[in-house]
Amino acid sequence: MSTGVTTVTARRSAPSGEHERGRRRGLRPTQWAGIGFVAPLVVYLVVLYAYPLYENVSMSLHRFTRATFVTGQAPFVGFDVYREVIGSPQFWPTVRQTAVFVVVSLVFQYAIGLGLAVFFRRSFPLSSLLRGLFLVPWLLPIIVSATTWQWMMDADSGVINRFLGLFGADPVWWLNAQHSLMSVTIANIWLGIPFNLVILYSGLQNIPTDLYEAASLDGAGAWRQFWHVTFPLLRPVTAITLLLGFVYTLKVVDIIWIMTLGTGSSQTLATWAYAMAFGKGASSVIRYSQASVLGTILLLIALVMGFVYLVVQRRQED
Amino acid sequence: MLNVRKSAVLAGTAALATLALGACSSGGGGGTATTAAGGSTSAAALTSINVWDPYPQYDDSSAWASYVKACAPAGATITRTTAATSDLLNNLTSAVKEDNAPDVIMLDNPAVPDAATAGLLAPAKDVGIDTSGFDANLAGPGTVAGVTYGVPIGANTLGLYYNKDILDKAGVDPASIKDWASLTAALDKVTKAGSKGITFAGISGEEGVFQFLPWFWGSGASLKQPTSDAAVAAGQLLSDWIGKGYAPKSAITDNQSASWDLFLTGQYAFAENGSWFAKAASTQKFKAVMMPIPGQNGGAAPVPTGGEFVLAPVHKADSAAHYAAATKVIACLVGPDNQIKTDDQLGYFAANKDQRAKQIASDPIWTPWAAAIESAQGRTTDLGPDYTATSAQLSTALQGALNAAGDATAVKAAFAQAAKG
Repeated sequence: MSTGVTTVTARRSAPSGEHERGRRRGLRPTQWAGIGFVAPLVVYLVVLYAYPLYENVSMSLHRFTRATFVTGQAPFVGFDVYREVIGSPQFWPTVRQTAVFVVVSLVFQYAIGLGLAVFFRRSFPLSSLLRGLFLVPWLLPIIVSATTWQWMMDADSGVINRFLGLFGADPVWWLNAQHSLMSVTIANIWLGIPFNLVILYSGLQNIPTDLYEAASLDGAGAWRQFWHVTFPLLRPVTAITLLLGFVYTLKVVDIIWIMTLGTGSSQTLATWAYAMAFGKGASSVIRYSQASVLGTILLLIALVMGFVYLVVQRRQED
Repeated sequence: MLNVRKSAVLAGTAALATLALGACSSGGGGGTATTAAGGSTSAAALTSINVWDPYPQYDDSSAWASYVKACAPAGATITRTTAATSDLLNNLTSAVKEDNAPDVIMLDNPAVPDAATAGLLAPAKDVGIDTSGFDANLAGPGTVAGVTYGVPIGANTLGLYYNKDILDKAGVDPASIKDWASLTAALDKVTKAGSKGITFAGISGEEGVFQFLPWFWGSGASLKQPTSDAAVAAGQLLSDWIGKGYAPKSAITDNQSASWDLFLTGQYAFAENGSWFAKAASTQKFKAVMMPIPGQNGGAAPVPTGGEFVLAPVHKADSAAHYAAATKVIACLVGPDNQIKTDDQLGYFAANKDQRAKQIASDPIWTPWAAAIESAQGRTTDLGPDYTATSAQLSTALQGALNAAGDATAVKAAFAQAAKG
């Protein structure tokens, strides 16, 4: 910042003849000023984004253990660790579980969020209060909501099994290896609805009401109005909601970890990376390099989704 | 649009940055008095000493916190930092790398070989820690590849608590429980009488393995062959309890506090849990009594030793001053005169036989534990630093076995799967 300020004052006090000399040297004072103003941002990006990113990729190409982390003498092994992680019997099942977790979460969060947004579009008595209540999952600390879900899903005395029992259903062992993916997905859907509701609701506010009036004059019922007015006009908002939702869901660790420690089918790429990076969960062996490999893979997936979004948006603009 | 792309990229990056930076988060630096004048060999004493302990349940206002702080040598103050053992170990890793490790750290005993082989700990001999006078079975984990790094702050172990009221009501004589078969028969009797069976912690990770070891060792299995037939039998025992409804299904996610809370509801007949709950057990509305955990074919099963070690991390700059401070603080915590005081704070046993005898004599609730603690085994004694990987294998096998809910084929498969790694 200080560089910027000094160059600006220097430029102000400089006589006009200096301009020529400045150009001959390469950069004009205004350009220096520009650099000065950009520098803090660049430093910020480099220190807090580029450097950790570089370290992450570098870590995935070296074999780090707890000991080599201290000495810094981790041998370069190229893509060995990548081959190891991708070749591990856990890798593809985990990718599949991650895909199920993300896709199912997104579909339900979006569908329920959109349904509620359309519902709340008409204001009725207490509608804003009710809408506010739907934000509760978002406001609760996840340690609270995840623990509550864990209690509710208790196989022996959980309220969900009690409720199912009223209809004569057998109790479900929600958090065992087989069902844990379903259970954490349900909890995550519940957690993501408010986000979808809020963004889609504000998207709905931007659709002019005269379009609905025109549609109803043309004889379109509520259902046709939704499919031919609401849904197409919400498309840009839908795209950003799904993209952000995708990235958020892909990196979810907290709710899964608190409910099941990522055991059984609830292991996703993110929880696996967390477990290996910090020696948590079943194994307290620390695996910095393997965790970095997963981190890099997660980053690439998020990056690809970012480009998909760009393509979709560009097509909409054309 | 640029913003959008950036936010997508940044959001992804943020996830990574958490991973990458998290590993680098470092603890407090050691404040050194830089007033050293003259001789380079005699370093000035530290005025600020850092101590890390894995007892986050005791906050800054706790008796434990003031107890630790009172161990500061004259002219120095102690800053205490606390976190779970795995976090402490991670923070210590980066702190040693940056040469700002604490002066004293307490780590759970199975983490000691891992920390020592990673070069995070200074040998006790170099630091000047007095390692004499501790029981061999309790001090074992502090020695890695022939080098002793630290001493136990105290010790704890596991036992089988029972709710005498429930047993009386169901007509079960605790003295009749001598082996696995009679224990399972007792579980059957109490559940038929309308009570619940047994709580234990089967949570994924070291805590679940710690609770599994008495059954594992009680079956005759050895950590050198973690997936042997005997090990499968131990897995089958716990799996059957879940399958038959003797143990809650939540055992797969319960830690020791959660399973203790279940026992405290007064609905369960038995609970496998630690000696650190002995005081709490004596103040319940129901009569909670401890008995040794039975082995498969009778007799008490070997139980694992629990408890933390007091250690001095490696320092490069000004190491003499750091080690001198560490020696003083450690002597204050586990010196012969202070062991009982320290261990009473933590609910632990003194790790020195004579001290422990005094401690047990002073409070009758410890009496049933005396034999258990003496015959307890260190988890890392057989394997050293390899224990961590074996424990992970056992944890995977145990989770599979509990999930199988009694299905013998699935229990076998879980151990076979874990053997492959």
